[in-house]
Amino acid sequence: MGHTRLRFLGVVAAAFMLVAACGSSTSSPPAKQYKVGLVTDIGGLNDKSFNHLAYVGLQKAITDLSVKGDVTESKSGDDYVPNLTNFASKGYDLVIGVGFLMAEAIGTVSGQFPNIHFAIIDGAGTDAKGNDLKHANVQSLFFSEQDAGALVGVVAGMLEKQGKAKKNAHVIGAVGGISIPPVNHYIAGYKWAATMEDPGIKVLIGYSNDFVDPAKCKGVAQGQISAKADILFQVAGQCGLGVLQAAGQNSVYSIGVDADQKDSDPSVILSALKKVDVATYTAIKGVVNGQFKAGALTFNVANDGAGYAIDNFSLPADIQTEVDNVKAKIKSGALTPPSDIPA
Amino acid sequence: MAASPATVPERPRPRLPATARRVASGMAVPVGSVVLAFVIGALIVLATGGDPLAAYQGLLCGGLGAFCTQGENPALQVSSTIVFTIPLIMAGMAVALPFRAGLFNIGAEGQFLAGAIACTTIGIHLGTLPAPILLPLVLLGGMAAGALWAGIAGVLKATVGAHEVVTTIMLNYVAQWLLRYLIIGGPLQLASGTSKSSPIGAGARLATLLPNDNNLVIFGLPSSVYRVHSGLLIALLAAAVFAFLLWRTTLGYEIRAVGQSQKAARYAGVSVRRTIIVTMLIAGAFSGLAGAIQIAGIDHNLTDKYFSDTTGFDAIAVALLGLGSAVGIVLASILFGALHSGSGVMQADAGISSSLVLVLQALILFSIAANFLGAIRLRLPGLGRAPAARPPDSPAAALMTEAAAPPPEGSPSAT
Repeated sequence: MGHTRLRFLGVVAAAFMLVAACGSSTSSPPAKQYKVGLVTDIGGLNDKSFNHLAYVGLQKAITDLSVKGDVTESKSGDDYVPNLTNFASKGYDLVIGVGFLMAEAIGTVSGQFPNIHFAIIDGAGTDAKGNDLKHANVQSLFFSEQDAGALVGVVAGMLEKQGKAKKNAHVIGAVGGISIPPVNHYIAGYKWAATMEDPGIKVLIGYSNDFVDPAKCKGVAQGQISAKADILFQVAGQCGLGVLQAAGQNSVYSIGVDADQKDSDPSVILSALKKVDVATYTAIKGVVNGQFKAGALTFNVANDGAGYAIDNFSLPADIQTEVDNVKAKIKSGALTPPSDIPA
Repeated sequence: MAASPATVPERPRPRLPATARRVASGMAVPVGSVVLAFVIGALIVLATGGDPLAAYQGLLCGGLGAFCTQGENPALQVSSTIVFTIPLIMAGMAVALPFRAGLFNIGAEGQFLAGAIACTTIGIHLGTLPAPILLPLVLLGGMAAGALWAGIAGVLKATVGAHEVVTTIMLNYVAQWLLRYLIIGGPLQLASGTSKSSPIGAGARLATLLPNDNNLVIFGLPSSVYRVHSGLLIALLAAAVFAFLLWRTTLGYEIRAVGQSQKAARYAGVSVRRTIIVTMLIAGAFSGLAGAIQIAGIDHNLTDKYFSDTTGFDAIAVALLGLGSAVGIVLASILFGALHSGSGVMQADAGISSSLVLVLQALILFSIAANFLGAIRLRLPGLGRAPAARPPDSPAAALMTEAAAPPPEGSPSAT
């Protein structure tokens, strides 16, 4: 990797500066360089989803805020605690865990290092029973996934109502990974908005019980397609790429999640966006500006932390108008998508 | 080997070098494979624009706590390596013991999960019992579950001749999906919307070697960060039991006899079927114990991380690299544990993806299985100082050939 050499040069340069600083008087201490450690979950940096986005946010912070940022990819769940501990033990200013699956590890390690700041995407620092330990050094970066889910749900509902989907049976689907809160928030907003636009719609919901293996999600998706679903929303990380493929092979529409998944499959008409990059950057900026706040920080449509992207599809003007309309209402608080999946 | 003229009485001097030479030649294949893997790994890092020296320095730091340059705590790294080593030792023996009997146990992962599931179930439901009763109970429960899991494959092999490679692989899937069911919507699920079980009772937990205290500072860090637990002692004890069983008991003799030749073993009065079943039961108990110790020592509950666990598969590489001996398996486990622990530090320090470690592990396994060194030795006789008595195959290759032996004669498939 090219930046290794750059880093080496940087170290050399820093050493020279240090020598120079020692030579001159020590009147003005150099500005502190903040150190940020990012630990991915088992999805890894190439998950085309939130680990990747967290990395994008870190890169932006390295450029804009001149922090030193290092990344460790977890190869298994066994790695969460050691990887977090490694950064914390080296005195990093902020250690970021990406993903709900790391909640317990963050809870453990943040208790051991009360002077280090921690941030976690989609979770809190918890004990083994999932209770928030409310450590004063942990910031939870939550998202109103239901906002993003609702925006893509509006499009799905409108397409079904107008008979513009492929099978015109008023059936759409959502494939979740594991039934955990962030997944269900997306599906809740999606179902709520689709039903709002097309009251006669049927929303099939299935879970693969997995976030990694695309084959498992593909199976669930194929079941929904054979039950006449013609728009499938994947909410299963890397596993969900199987949903997009299944939709492509059966010539129905699909909706990506978290990041813009336009390039994953031609069947992707939209992506529901969860701007983990914005959240990561915000957390780093908070520490650098000395404004770290423990507890929950929520990102939603109103603060541009959630949204949607139009992908391999040209959205009809009337649908675009309706999406803009709903988005404005969510922003103003006139509409509030539910966080629990409506019956 | 040229026999020295036997005119003078036996001098003690040649004995030691002979032993040393035997050990050295025995270690040549595994050590050579590791070196070869690291050389190829370095080339891969170079080819992708990285700095192999920085990568290996990061690995050494993260694995062994040596040559740390960026403020890592050596004691923490060593502790982390040991934590990863413990389950590999026991799972490695679960693969090595059946090798000796000519069986290829691919099912260590399933047996590991069965042990973890049993340990958690007992640890939750009897969670109020005091430690002196509960701790042995969860560990024995894990062993029993692992033995049961492997025993299914053993009985099928001994009675109807079903190939253990197929049955153990399939049983891995059964265990994985059973686990998914249990903690997602099943009886062990903590609460809806989670993918983990409740924690096991305090009495079911293995103590850490250093106090589990956030406020006590040892080696410059809170002592609770050192997760090394007493499962280490159990693993080493298990390795001793393995060696004793294999080389000092009748059963061990029978296992090796069956592995060498089932016909000869039967002629010598060994019950091949019984030996196969007993071997698999013991192997499963080793792997089940590994799973139980992972729960009792580290995790304290079943979580979705076990969906992607690979301990039982890494164990196959460990058993091959360790040449199926207790000492070899412990050493190979330490190497794999150090690689695992080092990968994170390598990525954080040198910016080399931690996936490099998986490449190294695969290269080690590949070069052992393919026996490159044997081939090189044949081409360059100057390097080959192997005693004439050594079989031409590498030990690993020999183990693999034995493992591919036909099912026991007299079973329905053979008649």
